[in-house]
Amino acid sequence: MNRDGPMIRIENHGLAADLPDGWDGQIFVRSGPEGATMPVLQAASFALPAEGGDFGGGAVEQMGDYDVFVALCEYGSDSVNTPLFSSSTLGGLSPDDFHTQALQRPLPPQCGTQQFVTIAGRAFCLYVVLGNHRLREHLVPAAEGVVATITVAPR
Amino acid sequence: MTALVAGLAFVVALLAVLVIGLLRSHADILRALHDLGVGLDPSDAPGANTGPGPVPVPSPVVKTTAGVPEPRQGDAPGAVPTITGTTPDGGTAVVAISPRPHATLIAFLTTGCTTCAGFWQAFAGRVTLPGADTRLVIVTKGHEHESPAAVARLAPKGVMTLQSSDAWADFVVPGSPYFVLVDGPTGRIVGEGAAASWEQVSGLLDRAVADGALPLTGTDGAPRESVVRSAARREAEVDDALLRAGIGPGHPSLYPGAGDEP
Repeated sequence: MNRDGPMIRIENHGLAADLPDGWDGQIFVRSGPEGATMPVLQAASFALPAEGGDFGGGAVEQMGDYDVFVALCEYGSDSVNTPLFSSSTLGGLSPDDFHTQALQRPLPPQCGTQQFVTIAGRAFCLYVVLGNHRLREHLVPAAEGVVATITVAPR
Repeated sequence: MTALVAGLAFVVALLAVLVIGLLRSHADILRALHDLGVGLDPSDAPGANTGPGPVPVPSPVVKTTAGVPEPRQGDAPGAVPTITGTTPDGGTAVVAISPRPHATLIAFLTTGCTTCAGFWQAFAGRVTLPGADTRLVIVTKGHEHESPAAVARLAPKGVMTLQSSDAWADFVVPGSPYFVLVDGPTGRIVGEGAAASWEQVSGLLDRAVADGALPLTGTDGAPRESVVRSAARREAEVDDALLRAGIGPGHPSLYPGAGDEP
């Protein structure tokens, strides 16, 4: 990991991201189909629990109004370049992308968004949660600031 | 009359010589003190003397019990650093200590230290951390010093555990077990030290709370006390609650139809 400067770069399993000062981050693997290992990258403006769900279960419940949660989860090779994962653009978030119903589990006043992409021959789902839907204009730049730094290396 | 004046003049001259001698002696004494680096002006800042420097005053000898490191020598870190390291399952983690709305207790442990064994065991059960939402983070040294498998065996479920030699260096940890308590909003180290038991650490935290260094209430004003419970303990408590409610193994309510993906 690169610890120079105010941003801290976290990287592992071919995934990397720059975390702003005060953010937590984790990269771990989950078991996928046929024993494959599926990396998960999580970044949050609050304390991440030691054990939580891939899409923030156990973490998003701790979010405050001004908090942001980002998760990038890899899917199996059979998802690569399928219609759902046909986009190759990650990020470019705008406040209009976020909805209170686009959450794994509704937790008012939170809102979320998803993107399904194929990058470097790998299929991913990007899941971003904002602490308060009314503050999305303020929070989206913080989320995009992290998402824009995500890099993916081929397997 | 003339004799009287002459006598007085002689006495005055004698007194003048005496005063000059005293002043010279005083000057010599001051010069000697200055050469020793001892300033008499209360406004003098330490190290402001141009002489050889202050006379080192030996630190009091601190005796600790066997297995407990002595307090660290040297300066505490400036801004509290973020902790980066690897997790017992081979992942990578970045743990920010500040700015945070809550305090963080960092426990520097090893897998081979007999005193640390008591803490590994305590954290695997249930410990109560004073303060509002105080977070517990365990840090061992990196792979070059500690076996990841040994750390994985000891790491309590539900407690953030990292391997990071950099963190040991950043916090100038003198040995293990060693604890650092950081106030999240300010990034200030409000307490640190070695301890032989969790009861001693708990006392350290209680003193920090008593000194007002840790808030006792959460953001909603309600009294808060963070409880670190291992995942096994939480699971047992949940099982007990379900059984008391008449929900045993195989109950339909335990098998919801929704999946895990959003």
